[in-house]
Amino acid sequence: MQVSIYRYNPETDSEPYMQDYHVNTGGKDLMILDVLALIKEQDEAVSYRRSCREGVCGSDGLNINGKNGLACITPISEAMGKRDSKLVIRPLPGLPVVRDLVVDMGQFYTQYRKIKPYLINDTPPPAIERLQSPEEREKLDGLYECILCACCSTACPSFWWNPDKFIGPAGLLQSYRFLADSRDEGVSERLSDLDDPFSLFRCHGIQNCISVCPKGLNPTRAIGHIRNMLLQRAT
Amino acid sequence: MKAVNKNRPVNLDFKTIKLPLPALVSIMHRASGVVVFFSIPILLGILSCSLESESSFNELKDTLDGFFVTMVVWGAVGALLYHIAAGVKHLFMDFGIGETLEGGLKGAKITVVVSAVLIIFMGVWLW
Repeated sequence: MQVSIYRYNPETDSEPYMQDYHVNTGGKDLMILDVLALIKEQDEAVSYRRSCREGVCGSDGLNINGKNGLACITPISEAMGKRDSKLVIRPLPGLPVVRDLVVDMGQFYTQYRKIKPYLINDTPPPAIERLQSPEEREKLDGLYECILCACCSTACPSFWWNPDKFIGPAGLLQSYRFLADSRDEGVSERLSDLDDPFSLFRCHGIQNCISVCPKGLNPTRAIGHIRNMLLQRAT
Repeated sequence: MKAVNKNRPVNLDFKTIKLPLPALVSIMHRASGVVVFFSIPILLGILSCSLESESSFNELKDTLDGFFVTMVVWGAVGALLYHIAAGVKHLFMDFGIGETLEGGLKGAKITVVVSAVLIIFMGVWLW
């Protein structure tokens, strides 16, 4: 099959370009990461990130035939649309490209850091642990599973235009993960941090985040919950 | 050691990025908003002109009966109708309706169908 890869070497190229490869998949419905490994056998200069190869680490988020996803858990059959004649693999959109398919995740992590991704609780902890009821724990389902692969934030037009000011879907999902945690005492502080025109309110409900999340999570709904919390606090 | 290249390219070529229907509906919402912003003063101007006197009303009626002018008015009102339909979808989303993968797609489809019907009715009414 034909595979077209986004190439850019900062030491030799002034502009990125697309390079075509012919890959023999042996008629198997391989994962995109396997296809990349076959390409690396032909051309070992092709660069991409990978680690766990099973959708847990979130290293290999890529734009595959126009849609963001994890290369390791996206089979060729799912990536290729009906009208696609070849596989097109590009880096995640909107982030600076370091080399080939490797992007600089700095802006993404800066936004993540802003939401204070840790429990805020100044009460001295009990001898064993801070307990949660099963109901309280259940509220974190659909939130804690995020692996920070950045597929959602880099599919979000609001994040493309304001990567320095808009937290982005991934960061906001995590923000709500702590807002919804019964052990967290930082609700008012967290909400105050988000109460400006950009951090949260740049979300216009485009919902690209939901359509690309490889874990099936829903940042749009989490953002809606935070918005309601801000509204209730203001009234 | 060579300095790190800070002049990095960004992959943001819209021809290569697939946008699902809810995204297109949302972008059209923005675009129709721009059209509405610029056309509302014109529509209000036409209204004000029609209310000035009987002769100005008749004069305006003759102008507006032209095919080209009707098309422009239809376009402006059509943008407004689409903007309202997509806005109502947002109100539903504020109540937590249509905030899932399937729900969002369904909401986008309903928005397209409802606004298309409204725009066609408006076209029939204008002619």
